[in-house]
Amino acid sequence: MRTRLAAALLLATLATPPAQAQVRSVELYAPRPFGYVIGDAIALTVEIALDPPFVLDAASLPRPRALDYWLDLREARLTDHGVSAGTHRYTLDLVYQTLYAPLEPKRLAIPGLALAATDGGRRVAIDVPAWSFLSSPLREIVSTGAGAPMALRPDIEPRPIATAGALRGLVASTLAALAALALLAWRMGWGPFGRRQRRPFAGASRTVRAALHASSSSAYRAALLALHRAFDATAGKRVLAEDLPAFFEAHPAFRATETEVCRLFDASRRAFFGEDAAGAQGELPAPDLVALARRLRAIERGTA
Amino acid sequence: MRRRLAVPLILLVLGASLAAALYFAVRLGLDRRDNALIASITAGHDLATDPADPAALLFARLHFLATRDRLDEAQPLVQQIAAAGDRSVAVAAFYDLANARLRAAIAHLEANRIDPAIPLVRLAKEGYRRALTLDPGFWDAKYNLDIAMRLVRDFPQLDTEGEEIPPEAAKRLWTDLPGVPKGLP
Repeated sequence: MRTRLAAALLLATLATPPAQAQVRSVELYAPRPFGYVIGDAIALTVEIALDPPFVLDAASLPRPRALDYWLDLREARLTDHGVSAGTHRYTLDLVYQTLYAPLEPKRLAIPGLALAATDGGRRVAIDVPAWSFLSSPLREIVSTGAGAPMALRPDIEPRPIATAGALRGLVASTLAALAALALLAWRMGWGPFGRRQRRPFAGASRTVRAALHASSSSAYRAALLALHRAFDATAGKRVLAEDLPAFFEAHPAFRATETEVCRLFDASRRAFFGEDAAGAQGELPAPDLVALARRLRAIERGTA
Repeated sequence: MRRRLAVPLILLVLGASLAAALYFAVRLGLDRRDNALIASITAGHDLATDPADPAALLFARLHFLATRDRLDEAQPLVQQIAAAGDRSVAVAAFYDLANARLRAAIAHLEANRIDPAIPLVRLAKEGYRRALTLDPGFWDAKYNLDIAMRLVRDFPQLDTEGEEIPPEAAKRLWTDLPGVPKGLP
């Protein structure tokens, strides 16, 4: 629906070669030239091609303002496409708004623009042609319809603020928080996740820490026993010192703690079968036991 | 290494989503409160507003004042709403206030009081123009601006900068009034 109106200007360009040789072409692209009513916005596009080193003088561009009592220039936006194939191209987008209230269809003209190009010293005028369109009335001249002749269109009623967006955001962020909390609980073995069969060392680590608050030999034994139960649960059968190589074969992740685990089994042999709790605590002191329980828990969780 | 990062990452997500939930909850609460105020004003309660209130609440107040012929009190609200930056509410505010002025002007004209009507029509036209500037496709504003334009035409020399209305504008008023003097004796 765009009309090309450059012919007249191109003719003028050819007629006066010395003055405008540096302006290759000025083309005006316009929408339909009819059917505009009061308040309509009209977008025109001007394509300008210059010979380098000439550039468009930014000071000559129109500024958005009221051009006439019925015509406003709302927007003037220049796009510089740079030099290609020896031509410097620009696109000037113009948005006008007509505020003319015609009684019958009336031709109105948007005036042309006088732009300028410069190469530093010389100045060349660029004339953008005027453009005209048909403006149409909205109402008949004498009202023939029913009802009052000057009945206004109704007011806009106040509307409540839309809360659906905030509600959706609240639901989504709450769900995200719950999901993150569940993931964290699963990671850390909290709550229902801590009692799972697959995480025996998580429970054992808690028991060890609780038991070693009381520094008696029975508490130390309880701690050892908890770790043994965790090894049993992990292996799915009873694990004795002789079974350790097979255990590490089946659960290679725990191999990193092999030395400490061997010390643990030595200590527990002393504590339970040698009745030598003090010697056992010398072999593997309580803080080391807690550290080992933590490491085993971390390996089990996969974060070691 | 990636597995080590997992727990801090989960904590980060947890913190961010909790903060977002708090934000949305506060906003929802404020919006609900404002909606209750809007409903109260719409029901006819004369509640004052603060310039810091949201645009929708200011607009409810403006509508309340404009439909009760308290135009002088409504005028500052339009500026506050336009400054709030919500385009559709600003359009509605300009339009409703212009409608109120045009209704008042038509009431003056029907009672044959021309002098107070002219500035009201001019202000109404300005309001419709502002609404159309923000939303060129607003048909009700176009229609009502057309009515206002036929009451008081624009003159090229008038709208450049002139504040004073030339006497012929008032005289021409009746020639531009196609339907008003209905059944004068």
